[in-house]
Amino acid sequence: MLEISSTPLVIIAILGVIGVILPLISIARKESGSNSFYAVIAFGALIVSIGYVAYQLTTEHILPSAVFSEDVLADDAFGGFFAIAMLIVAIFTTVSSFNYMRKQNHPAVYYSLILLSTIGMVLVAYSTDLVMLFVAWELMSIPTYVLAGFIKKNPSSNEAALKYFLFGALSSAIIVYGISISYGLTGSTNIGEVIQGYSSLDASMLPLALLSVGMFIAGFGFKMGLVPFHMWLPDTYEGAPPPITTLLAAGTKKAGFAAAIRIIVLGMVALNLDWTLALGIIAVMTMTIGNIAAIMQKNLSRMLAYSSIGHAGYILIGLAVAPFSAVGIQGSLYHVLNHAVMKGAAFVAVGGIVTTLAVTNLDKLKGLGRRMPITSLGLVISLLALAGVPPLNGFWSKLMLFGGALDASSAVSWAPWLAIAGVLNSALSLAYYGWIMRRMYFEGETEKRVSEPKSVVAVMIFSIIFMVALGVYPEPIIQFVETASPVISLNAMP
Amino acid sequence: MSNELIDFVIVSIALLGIGIYGLSVKRNAIRMLFAIEIVINAANLNMVAFGRFLPHSGGQTLALFSIAIAAAEVAVGLSLIIVAYRMYQNIDIADYRSLKG
Repeated sequence: MLEISSTPLVIIAILGVIGVILPLISIARKESGSNSFYAVIAFGALIVSIGYVAYQLTTEHILPSAVFSEDVLADDAFGGFFAIAMLIVAIFTTVSSFNYMRKQNHPAVYYSLILLSTIGMVLVAYSTDLVMLFVAWELMSIPTYVLAGFIKKNPSSNEAALKYFLFGALSSAIIVYGISISYGLTGSTNIGEVIQGYSSLDASMLPLALLSVGMFIAGFGFKMGLVPFHMWLPDTYEGAPPPITTLLAAGTKKAGFAAAIRIIVLGMVALNLDWTLALGIIAVMTMTIGNIAAIMQKNLSRMLAYSSIGHAGYILIGLAVAPFSAVGIQGSLYHVLNHAVMKGAAFVAVGGIVTTLAVTNLDKLKGLGRRMPITSLGLVISLLALAGVPPLNGFWSKLMLFGGALDASSAVSWAPWLAIAGVLNSALSLAYYGWIMRRMYFEGETEKRVSEPKSVVAVMIFSIIFMVALGVYPEPIIQFVETASPVISLNAMP
Repeated sequence: MSNELIDFVIVSIALLGIGIYGLSVKRNAIRMLFAIEIVINAANLNMVAFGRFLPHSGGQTLALFSIAIAAAEVAVGLSLIIVAYRMYQNIDIADYRSLKG
């Protein structure tokens, strides 16, 4: 049994209660206009939650690595790691919404939906049972469909939400089909028992087991933005309200990776198949197509959306070499945290630019470095970190990912190609990031400085400190990643 | 009439195929929503059938969760479609093209 003070239960209690109470307060006060009161409450709830996760992690009440449990949730370091990444993203979203929601109605519902979606993301990372995973997945997804279409009068917001909904609903339908097959094959929904059942499966049932794992890859791949399943992603990221794009790009995407590591990697190892090449091919396709499409974009949020597809490819390298190299999976986890902060900061900066200047076209960014200096600095540092420039945090996680691929070359001959593809793609991405930076700083006439939204400035300062500090001194986080990352080998099976 | 597990699984896989076909061919938002519902119901049929032939009733529980969640999802989806209809007077998703690139 889980203790009542275990991290996931406390997070459900804090965020769930606040998330349900916020709309009730707004009904009782009979108002639907703009009000930053709700934002402050939501922000407080998220800060308390992240504080509790950090307290639980530092006092070491929790289990190391990713464990299998008889319960539906396990209070382990793997879940704690993802919970911290997702709560940081939720805080970014809430803080950058301070400014955005000033012009919109129904703030109570908006913040309540953000909190409910955050509970879903956190629970996906903690769940050790397929039923719990599915419920958490839907709790994460359904509020984001509404949030993506929150600006009812705006055609692009609605179109983005509808496309996102159709693909999201298809992905959850495919996941539930995969769950039904794995339940039929193993007679259990507990992830530990499913994996144990898979490792002792009758050979005639192997195609069905492969079908279920394939369905998990497709279902989670939709949210992660892997390449055959990425069609919805640029449209949705461009059309959704900018703070919600932050939540989607940096938050729900990471929940997909948490679920993928818990199920796909461990399940594939249990099936004892040569599956790593398939994931490796998807990884190379995802990063190449994402980065090449990003070069051709004229719209800043669309370009960042394609670059986010590319980063899903980098993270997948670690999953592909997981059975041969411990460094690879650690690099995946580390890149998940880094990408959450880097991409979160980049989208918050875009949101600030959109609400202040109402431009997203790359050609209109000329002289931005002088008009909005702090937002521009935040955007530039997050772009450099995304490209993996050395003194920033993105460099270390990419180093671990590519090092993991080289490390695996003793076991599989194709592994170094993943590292080569990754390095080439990073160079390619630096090209189009550099293009934006040139526009912002070296083109256009000297224009007057405009006042920058305070909430955006706050997020920028936090993320600049985070990216530079972890770039200069990465040891504590690397140690945390080492305790959190699961041990992927046949001996570690339950 | 036979009452074997394999019959249920065949029907379920047929429903899955119909759902995926519907999603890839139709461009009407409501039809696409129906196609997704067919896939979810194929999974539910699978779970109930497996639960019937396994010594415990976990499958039925799972199917109940899945039905409840699918209802919530459809509510959200239909409301998004209604908003889109008010804006475009049309629910053909091929006509929604404010976003591209």
